[in-house]
Amino acid sequence: MSTPTQTTSQGPSGLARLRELWNAYLPYWFITPMVLVMLLITIFPGAYDLYLSLVKYQLTDPTTIGQFNGLANYERVFTSGGAINSFVITITFVAGALALETGIGFVLAALVTGVKSDRMKTFYRIAFIIPMAVAPVSLATIGRIMLNTEIGIIPFLIQQFTPFVAPNFLSDVPLLTVILVDTWNWTPFMFIIFYAGMSSVPKTLLEASKVDGAPLWRRYVHVIIPYMKPVLFVAILIRLIDLFRTFGLVFSLTSGGPGTATELVSINIFQTGFTFVDLGGAAAIAIVYLVGIVALCNILIIKVGFEGVWD
Amino acid sequence: MAAVDDAQQPDSRLSKTNRERLVSAGRHAALLVWSFVVLFPLYWIVSMSLKPPTAAISLPPDWIFLPTVYNYIQLLQQSSFVYAFFNSVFMVSASVILVLLIGVPAAYVLSRYDIPKQRDVLVWILSSRMLPPVAVIIPFFVIFRALNLYDTRIGMIFMYITINISLVVWVMKAFFDGIPETLEEAARVDGATRFQAFRKVILPAAKPGIFSVAIISFIFAWIELLFSLVLTNNNAVTVTMQVYQFIGVRQIEWGMLAAATTATIIPVVIFVIAVNRYLAAGLSFGVVIKE
Repeated sequence: MSTPTQTTSQGPSGLARLRELWNAYLPYWFITPMVLVMLLITIFPGAYDLYLSLVKYQLTDPTTIGQFNGLANYERVFTSGGAINSFVITITFVAGALALETGIGFVLAALVTGVKSDRMKTFYRIAFIIPMAVAPVSLATIGRIMLNTEIGIIPFLIQQFTPFVAPNFLSDVPLLTVILVDTWNWTPFMFIIFYAGMSSVPKTLLEASKVDGAPLWRRYVHVIIPYMKPVLFVAILIRLIDLFRTFGLVFSLTSGGPGTATELVSINIFQTGFTFVDLGGAAAIAIVYLVGIVALCNILIIKVGFEGVWD
Repeated sequence: MAAVDDAQQPDSRLSKTNRERLVSAGRHAALLVWSFVVLFPLYWIVSMSLKPPTAAISLPPDWIFLPTVYNYIQLLQQSSFVYAFFNSVFMVSASVILVLLIGVPAAYVLSRYDIPKQRDVLVWILSSRMLPPVAVIIPFFVIFRALNLYDTRIGMIFMYITINISLVVWVMKAFFDGIPETLEEAARVDGATRFQAFRKVILPAAKPGIFSVAIISFIFAWIELLFSLVLTNNNAVTVTMQVYQFIGVRQIEWGMLAAATTATIIPVVIFVIAVNRYLAAGLSFGVVIKE
């Protein structure tokens, strides 16, 4: 806490008075910076996007910047551009990756929980979280190297050791490839949360169900999963939110291509705004995307989160 | 006779220990397969970065080779890469310190005081994470150009704060909720001011939480690409941006591309391994506190 020089010259009483004010209103001092930052990063971008989406803002045409444009930006991007297509691709990508990451993450967590040897348990636990430390752009270079048709090890191994012809991953099955690469990157996120959640299931609960002679799947469906509900909910919610934010991995792996095969909404907005310098159009897509995600997540939080998970 | 498929049946083919052994072998087989899936790409990029240029792309691969630091020397001669690397270290670290200074005290207030509509406030804070960065970046692109914050470190540090503030507030609130209020009450009885009670009693008790969010905030800022792509040019360029540019220009110099990629990955991997026990609390937004 710094004290202005004028106050110090008044002697200890000024300092003491300041200290008193600091302590008396402590909660306000504590929370105000966060509220200001939050206003700046939620209300401001939302409102400014809305404004931009309603005016002309094409950097190629500087004289018309700021002119009211009605809903023309929305009409333009949603009739001629690839915006609608990019929404379909995004939903496919998010659904595919979320299902795979949740499924694999849960199975891995269940398998590791059952490992008897402590050393092996630690090995798996640490090995399985490593991919999360790989930046999407770095993973994209690894992908480009390993999947390359000429120098890539993966097509090579497929040709050598299987009867199949290796596909050109980035041009024949691009959407599947980005889903699988994202699964590699972010399954650790699910694994680590599920694993921690499973470790907190009380031993007595598990043993009771064992004594009942309940088969394995029943123990999961009736004992473990209900107990882990808050953990499952939060992991899936956060991952869902983050999947909608995906940009770097796909942008640096395929740039949205070939054609528009992997053009997520985030890439479509980026290209509309910064490649075709049409910020008004980009803001229009951004507003639709943003409202959709916030609405979906809030419904999930209110309907599922507050009615049974966090209460 | 579906009801008879019980392991306890005396006439079951496998004895109990054999059955357990089989289950255990299957378990390890599955886990080792996934370990291979996870570790092989990392082994591949690291080994490629240590091979001389011709061996780097030869197929079938040279499984055994004499490692060389040739590619790393090439990389260190790219002053732009070295600059961007330390730029990232500085900007990301500064943003983590600032986001903790802003978020931790706020989380304490949310945990200890009656805030009107607290639930709505928390959802509002989480909603900052829901906004896609690409939607947030458009207004900041316009404003940063107007305020001369384009391509500055301050601008980038601010943008990194925006991605982590909700995480810090949520996780730290969960940690503070877990610390009994009697702790600071006792300190107050002993004559400590509210601030002293927070700093000397509560903060030390919340150390694992602070540690956890600091690491995760660091990772989320370190791996970010979009902000640098849109908001930087020279001065505030990040290491991820450099790797991205290498993809375009250095497609032929595979070894150096592999070295650059390895250089961005290894520090974070070491980081994550060192703190693996603290990750779950932070990543789950505070829902799982203990492992």
